[in-house]
Amino acid sequence: MNKKSSKISTSNENYSHLELFNLGKIFFKEKKFIDFRSKGNRSGFEAIKDINLKIEKNTFVSIIGPSGCGKSTLLNLIAGLQAPTSGKIVIDGQAIKGPGPDRGVIFQNYALMPWLTTIQNIEFALNTVFPAKTKADVKERARKYLRMVGLEKASNKFPKELSGGMKQRVAIARALSINPNMLLMDEPFGALDALTRSYLQDELLSIWRKNKVTVVLITHSIEEALLLSDKIVLMSSGPSAIISEEISVDLERPRDREKIEQDPTYLKIKMRLEKHLLRETRAVEEVT
Amino acid sequence: MNKAISTRLTFAVAILSLLIFIILWQVIAQQGLLVKNFPGSFKTIGSLIWWVSDPFFDNGPNDLGIGTNLLISLRRVLIGYSLAVLVAIPLGVLMGMSKLAQSSLNPYVQLLKPVSPLAWLPVGLFVFRNSEITGIFVIFITSIWPTLINTAFGVASINPDYLRVSKSLGASKSTTIRRVILPAIMPNILAGMRISMGTAWLVIVAAEMLLGTGIGYFIWNEWNNLSLENIFVAIIIIGFTGFILDQFFGFLQDKFDYSI
Repeated sequence: MNKKSSKISTSNENYSHLELFNLGKIFFKEKKFIDFRSKGNRSGFEAIKDINLKIEKNTFVSIIGPSGCGKSTLLNLIAGLQAPTSGKIVIDGQAIKGPGPDRGVIFQNYALMPWLTTIQNIEFALNTVFPAKTKADVKERARKYLRMVGLEKASNKFPKELSGGMKQRVAIARALSINPNMLLMDEPFGALDALTRSYLQDELLSIWRKNKVTVVLITHSIEEALLLSDKIVLMSSGPSAIISEEISVDLERPRDREKIEQDPTYLKIKMRLEKHLLRETRAVEEVT
Repeated sequence: MNKAISTRLTFAVAILSLLIFIILWQVIAQQGLLVKNFPGSFKTIGSLIWWVSDPFFDNGPNDLGIGTNLLISLRRVLIGYSLAVLVAIPLGVLMGMSKLAQSSLNPYVQLLKPVSPLAWLPVGLFVFRNSEITGIFVIFITSIWPTLINTAFGVASINPDYLRVSKSLGASKSTTIRRVILPAIMPNILAGMRISMGTAWLVIVAAEMLLGTGIGYFIWNEWNNLSLENIFVAIIIIGFTGFILDQFFGFLQDKFDYSI
């Protein structure tokens, strides 16, 4: 299960970190213990199909699409939380067989354990991934990452004492503490209010600048995708969603929220994305 | 309203209602309004004071102090209950995690759960030929179902996010059970344990009427003595003990309340 992909040392920074080949996922109806009616009839729901994608090392890629298009399914497959029905996922030249600590995952609902304090939540991740580390080491490392997200003072608080934004910062600290090469984020700021969301987007960018990792971000916000990403992957509406387009975002970094909104490149891509999303959403709404 | 005043008022109302109850009881008994020779509250309180002032005497099995009998009952309950919890939690986790365990064990659980545990008393006596072990066995059977069902339900309805975090970190199954599933279902386990304890405390009184010694047998014995006031004493003591046990679990549940 816990297969660590070997790191290929290369001088070329732009080799593919993550490659998806003909990836597809069909959800079959759960087989009942005794089920006579659906005998032999293995029809299911095809969430995504024929997904081919290459993501370069240390780039920031957003996946955007209408709701229900299988974005989260795609992320779960990359995280190894679900197995694909067809195709394969290759990380650093090796097909993945399951989840692994080379990928840090951040969920929309923070997924902090409510019985653990902030620092204990990070320590849980560290103890699981690095069982050989001493207690003092783990504590020191957990503190370091809490400091990184500016929550050192909240280390002994329980999640229910934190705001949504603080919880997601703890989740980011937890995901990065295990030193992954890749950060997988499933609509991480979707449940936050607009101001907190902007704050966390800036925070994420500044953390990413200091800790370069490959980021795959699922979002349905065009502005978020444009502000953060090097590349935006557009998905069609589901079921059987495919990748309809890949757009490079050639905006200079560091990006300033107010300035890029005036940039003609920004506006051009934004319009293209809006048109696409509107078309795909219409397809969803008018079919159902 | 001021909180301190409201607390004091609640307390005053409680005391007042108790006083009214005691007086009414005394009047009804004294006037023979219910049945003849029904003990009044004064006589019952007198008895209660008598039993409580020397609770631990031992003049043979038919003449034990009420404290001694209470401790005998508590001991049976605690042993049977603890054994039940030790079996119910792992079994419940297994049933919650495995479809196979769920479908193979659930029929027995559903079939046996609604049976009065007292039905097992003759079985216990036949197998163990010992009333002490039989009492513990009956409490074991009583206590197992609520904890088992609540544990299994807790595991089955655990927030999938916790499991996904654990899985994404590559945690082993045993780490996931110990560090994620068990703490996550603590509220369910405690709720089950609280119901189990409540039922066990109900059942021990009935079981002991048939087994000898213990607070249940005390009631049966006082019935043979036609001493209704002593039965009321036992009822008060059983109620009070049950209340304390329940409060203890209430306290534990508050400690493990994760609600956000």
